[in-house]
Amino acid sequence: MKNLIYTALFSSLLIFSSCKDEEIPATMAMDLTIEHVLDGQTLELNGKSFTLPSGEDFTPKKFKYYISNVVLTNSQTGEMFEEMDSYHLISEDGNKSIDLGMIPSSNYDQLTFSIGVDEVANGKTDQTGDLDPNSDMAWNWNTGYKFLVLEGEFTNATSGDRQGLVMHIGTNGNFKTVTQSLSGVRAGKSTSLMLISNLDELFKDPNVLLVSELESTTIMFGEMAGKVAENYSEGFITVK
Amino acid sequence: MKTFSKLFLFTGFILAWACSPEEDPIELAPEIHYYIPKISHTLQVAGFPQPERNITSEEGVALGKKLFFDPNLSSNGKVSCATCHSPELAFTDGINLADHGVSGKKLHRSAPAIFNLAWQSDGLFWDGGAHDLESLNFGPLTHSDEMDANLDEVVTYLENDNEYKQQFGLIFSEGRIESAQVTRAISQYLRTLISQDSKYDRWKGKEEGFTELELNGYQLYQKNCSSCHREGLFTDRSFHNNGLDSEYPNPPELEGLYQGRYRITSNPEDMGAYKTPTLRNIYLTAPYMHDGRFETLDEVLDHYQNGIQVNESLASQLTSGISLSQNEREALIAFLGSLTDSIFIKQHHHLTN
Repeated sequence: MKNLIYTALFSSLLIFSSCKDEEIPATMAMDLTIEHVLDGQTLELNGKSFTLPSGEDFTPKKFKYYISNVVLTNSQTGEMFEEMDSYHLISEDGNKSIDLGMIPSSNYDQLTFSIGVDEVANGKTDQTGDLDPNSDMAWNWNTGYKFLVLEGEFTNATSGDRQGLVMHIGTNGNFKTVTQSLSGVRAGKSTSLMLISNLDELFKDPNVLLVSELESTTIMFGEMAGKVAENYSEGFITVK
Repeated sequence: MKTFSKLFLFTGFILAWACSPEEDPIELAPEIHYYIPKISHTLQVAGFPQPERNITSEEGVALGKKLFFDPNLSSNGKVSCATCHSPELAFTDGINLADHGVSGKKLHRSAPAIFNLAWQSDGLFWDGGAHDLESLNFGPLTHSDEMDANLDEVVTYLENDNEYKQQFGLIFSEGRIESAQVTRAISQYLRTLISQDSKYDRWKGKEEGFTELELNGYQLYQKNCSSCHREGLFTDRSFHNNGLDSEYPNPPELEGLYQGRYRITSNPEDMGAYKTPTLRNIYLTAPYMHDGRFETLDEVLDHYQNGIQVNESLASQLTSGISLSQNEREALIAFLGSLTDSIFIKQHHHLTN
């Protein structure tokens, strides 16, 4: 009998608490998924020919990059969630999502992340996870990571020859941080954010690239790499 | 409330500490024998620098040594680190540009001597492109003309070898072997390759005398060479254009390889500059320069006497070259012989058998 009373008491307590189900759970699930788009079409590797903003054709073969230091902010309250050890290798033929897991609940209205690897992590390569150099994103003669790799082929507008295009962009100066505003994220509600990587942006805005006219179609260091990094610092990855 | 705010402060402190960009020190395991190698005062160095994330231990050094001599890390199972860094030649291979890597293609750099590297803090490789040993090792390990290793295959090989598996487990206490552990173990071994027992070191320690010729040579060294080959380590650990070439071609596929340190820093002053190699064990490390272009020490001294190519990035110390008479040259070369460390060579040679 005593037990029954306890059970009843306990149940009513449960009911009582469930009546207050408007209360926001302390944590919420959050993940990000990224779509790769070129010339308004879904990116494909090794076959399909796409048109670059310059009008030149381009057949992509490899596309990967790092997204790092993911931060969600509620600009109204100042609440912030910073992902620890936040380095994600995103690639067309591999992983295209970031699972942040259960994060503190808030009406986040800003997403901040970086393209590349920050100076501290970029200063050594004996690292694990997505920074393990087994992913071919670490340079072996100049310590540091390639932040963004795009490789493919195009037809040279002048000679008509098929030519390779290689973009390996890295070095600390080309580490870029992006902030995007979010709408519709509600505290306590599990959320899947959709992001778009628009490859057109690598070739324009503010720096227009005509691949047929490049002095070298291998863009790794120096001025051209900096121009591509300027291009990816804005408008390249956006929230859908 | 007071306690609470104290707790809050403390938590904040912990958080701030955890978020600081400094490396988290590894937890020292009781069953591992950590140690600091004995350092001679004649090296003129302070302490034994090592990264907090990779503290030297007897077990780590033994594992690193095993990996250093294991050709199974290479893609064809035939090339080990020691193929180009042979202990009997003070960890060089005696070749200007070797072709004994996996592809059989000639390399663009001569294999440098690899000892006293714990103190090479301003960049490794001839152009200083590697920040530390832990990062450097991936270069020769994965380069298609060197060991051509696929890091995933290396890890699989090590995982499938019971002895390796046990060693890695003991030292790094992780469930799975990772490429980072491989390079850390090799780095521990490399930091213990310390050459400090030459005749010069014994002379400095007043345990042995110099001949008159060696003494003359030492004075000539001090006057003409020591600004770059600084006494102690016999390198200033820096990078200089020593007048080898007047121009530096730059074929795009070689990524600035002929431009020396400029390819790393983009600083015009570093055009054609390479790391000052140590003079220790120089009798054993021919041929000389980053591309092994000089077979003998006489050729090197000929270069400094008559061959300096003057351009804007030339090291200021070399603008008028180094002129030595034949007698002076003999004396200098005799002194350089006193830097051969046969104890170091023997110590590491027998380990390879």
